[in-house]
Amino acid sequence: MSSSKIGKSEIRRDLYDKLTGQSKYVADIKLPDMIFGKILRSPHPHAQITKIDVSEAKKFPGVHAVITPFDIPDGKIAPDLAILDKTVRFVGDEVAAVAADNEYIAQKALSLINVKYKILPFVTNMNDALLPKAPKIHEDGNLVGGKPITLERGNVEEGFGKADQIFEETFSTPAHSGSALEPRAALASWENTSLTVWKSSRGVHVDRFNISNALKIPLSEVRVIGPTMGAGYGNKDETPLSIICALLAHRAQKPVRIELTREEEFIAGRKRHATETTIKVGVKNDGSITAIHASTLMDTGAYLSSGPGVVRRSGQGALYLYRCANVRYDGYLIYTNQPTAGSYRALGAPQGHFALESIMDDISKNLSIDPLEFRLKNHVGIEGQPGERITPNNMIIDTQPVEGGLPFSSNGLHECLIKGATAFGWEQRRQKSEDSGPIRRGVGIGMFIYRGGPGSKSTVALKLKSDGTIQLISGIMDVGEGSSTVIPQIAAEVLGIPTEHVIPILGDTKLTPEAPITAGSSVTFSTGLAAQKAASDLKSKILDSAAYISDHEVESLDLNDGSIINKYNNLHIMSLGELAKSDPLKNLSAKASVIPGSKDAIINSFGAHFAEVEVDTYTGQVKILKYVAAHDSGKILNPTLAINQVEGGISQMIGFALTEEILTDPLSGITLNANYLEHKSPTIQEYPPIQVIFSNVVDPIGPFGAKALGELPSIGVAPAIMNAISDAINIRFTDLPATPDKIIDALNKNC
Amino acid sequence: MLWDKLGSRTLYKHTRYGVCKLSYHSTISLNINGQPNILEVDHRWTLLDVLRDLLDLTGAKKGCNQGECGACTILLDGKAVNSCQVLAIQTNNKKVTTVESMNHSHGLHPIQQAFLENDGAQCGFCTPGILMSVKALLNENPDPGIDQIKEKLSGNLCRCNAYGRIIESVQIAAQMMKSFSEHGKTHE
Repeated sequence: MSSSKIGKSEIRRDLYDKLTGQSKYVADIKLPDMIFGKILRSPHPHAQITKIDVSEAKKFPGVHAVITPFDIPDGKIAPDLAILDKTVRFVGDEVAAVAADNEYIAQKALSLINVKYKILPFVTNMNDALLPKAPKIHEDGNLVGGKPITLERGNVEEGFGKADQIFEETFSTPAHSGSALEPRAALASWENTSLTVWKSSRGVHVDRFNISNALKIPLSEVRVIGPTMGAGYGNKDETPLSIICALLAHRAQKPVRIELTREEEFIAGRKRHATETTIKVGVKNDGSITAIHASTLMDTGAYLSSGPGVVRRSGQGALYLYRCANVRYDGYLIYTNQPTAGSYRALGAPQGHFALESIMDDISKNLSIDPLEFRLKNHVGIEGQPGERITPNNMIIDTQPVEGGLPFSSNGLHECLIKGATAFGWEQRRQKSEDSGPIRRGVGIGMFIYRGGPGSKSTVALKLKSDGTIQLISGIMDVGEGSSTVIPQIAAEVLGIPTEHVIPILGDTKLTPEAPITAGSSVTFSTGLAAQKAASDLKSKILDSAAYISDHEVESLDLNDGSIINKYNNLHIMSLGELAKSDPLKNLSAKASVIPGSKDAIINSFGAHFAEVEVDTYTGQVKILKYVAAHDSGKILNPTLAINQVEGGISQMIGFALTEEILTDPLSGITLNANYLEHKSPTIQEYPPIQVIFSNVVDPIGPFGAKALGELPSIGVAPAIMNAISDAINIRFTDLPATPDKIIDALNKNC
Repeated sequence: MLWDKLGSRTLYKHTRYGVCKLSYHSTISLNINGQPNILEVDHRWTLLDVLRDLLDLTGAKKGCNQGECGACTILLDGKAVNSCQVLAIQTNNKKVTTVESMNHSHGLHPIQQAFLENDGAQCGFCTPGILMSVKALLNENPDPGIDQIKEKLSGNLCRCNAYGRIIESVQIAAQMMKSFSEHGKTHE
């Protein structure tokens, strides 16, 4: 039998081209007659544009087009985000744009644009933004929706009433940037009324819809192509860049390419939402939890972006990770005159889990219960939360439920805690010798829960070509996480052919059916299920066709290693290529759409991270000595790609815990550290020894048993590291990042 | 007119960079991946601009244009440098090596092969720069330990943080190249 592709570390599909420098990213693409665009940005945090004089700019030799909010269609990218607005709401907000023969001329032209601003009062602190006299950033006020979102199960007041002890603490996390290495870029070209856009994208169909909507042109006139993307970690589709580019190209009657500078990418890209979470937990002396109430303030900056999803996700840990009958979450989403926040890997979950896991850690130590024991005792099990099911029986269950009475399709959290603790040596490492010198060691755990994979409707089409290869057509984008490898693996498994013989065609709206964005860790699950179904349909068609041609009974046939065989005696009947050539008029293809999810169970993924750190009490620096990451993501389809995702997510979020913060000057609204040197991201020097373990608890619903993985590693890092630091120096940091100066200050105060 | 005041030779040039009114320019002689090149360059252009826009060698990437990320790393006379921090006119009579030099008609360079087999990249944007730094490392030190690998690659940011796979790929590449040289095979 052909060897299984599931669980096989097939080589990353596009890695060859990336290694040889042949991969084309947006900024590598050149079109004949192409010119270059640049964007003028607001120097004020809040102002009204009363007049723009572009006459000098237009006259400058080499300038082909200039656009301002006064001379473009008033389209919108989102309800609160215009293409170019006459009000600017953060330092860096788009004001106007030019296209010229080269970037030097474009830059010069920007300086010739004369803008008259009426300066408005501004607010950069989210607490200040909630005060009654705060300047209003949008029509309906600074608290999005006018009130918090509130989610509850049971009755928290009753729950607190039953507690022996109540703990409460407030935690804050910074805004920080994913700062993907490829700055955003877009290339737009018109042919009569048809527009083609190349852009860094995580979802070409969604982008196409947004562009068509904003420019008010028919969907059929817009083609979006997503070339190789230099990562985005969630947010390379939320800005007006491609539309500004399209407008310039239209006015100039030439293709226009815009590449953001690194500074622009930091400021006018998207960052993770800064938060303040107050969390209150009621426990009995035996360690059981009677009530949890979390309340999060979240700073969305000048525009909404994906804010509502993020603020929702920040509460899921408090609502669902620990077994508890009485829980409540209030999420406040607040506008400020800061650069816009958006989706960044795992959205609000890292912020919420940092608060949750920190307080749970303190509670366990207060009750003299080992933190591992405490979690083993209290984590939600496969039966789910106590309570009554509310979702009607014939409806698909949300992957972020609040109600009780729902089981999980699978739950390997217990395995993660046990296997992870064993691999880490939890028992031994906890019993450290008394540290007498300036170096203190400590250990910590962080566990977490996240949506398990069901996303939007996904479609995959498969077609057998005359050379025996299969074309796999899907509208999703591979953003560097590996879907262009893993989805073909699934199809290859069903069809019994080598993975390399499944050729993916992705990321081009002209060639592929509608698809959702590569986000929410949902592609493997959702598109994987569609691929599995389409492959299964195609297999039936192939075997039916072969049975007819070869005069065999269809029940006796099977697919193996690219051929149709008699499964009883393994006799080769014909190759797939021969079948395809035998009847060129017959179109051996299949298409499947799935709306993924379950009506009976919650599909969630889980994990537990263990960290051992060393704190230098003289310098305040933290070194990670050992890190074990145990993940429950069902069946791991491609172990090497999965390990790369986990290691990468952990290393990335060490920055969130220890070094990264986007700093805004409160007096001017200016971003102070919009560069790699001062927004300190982990380099290879900081990379710790990481061991990755998978629970291998197979999910009954996911494709070949798989569940979501991509974002989960980001969630456990701050909890594990901060709990380890607390163990090392007996100081609880409630404010990230735990930079050396903060650690030294805290140590000095404690002396 | 502003342009007329700058420099005595004002020419129009059709380049892939766009139609430029060159105010200051010079001719340089530059060996790129073994090929000699005579180029007319604007004094403002960086080596990165010349590679990407004039010569269509888009392997080297513009990640920050400020010398902070290493995505533009190439070898200049064998030394790994950020090409965004080198002016084109500084490279007269020098030798430039880019990731495109690693492609041979008979297959991948051992360093590339090691990265392919050990998943040494995710989005791939840092990869050309990393490969150049690795080449410089292994040219200098064919048997590096982890600390030396980390130090030599500390100027190449990988935001996907594929560092774990990268370190392993480098270690395996070093082993492969050692055994090749022991068996008499050579790769530039």
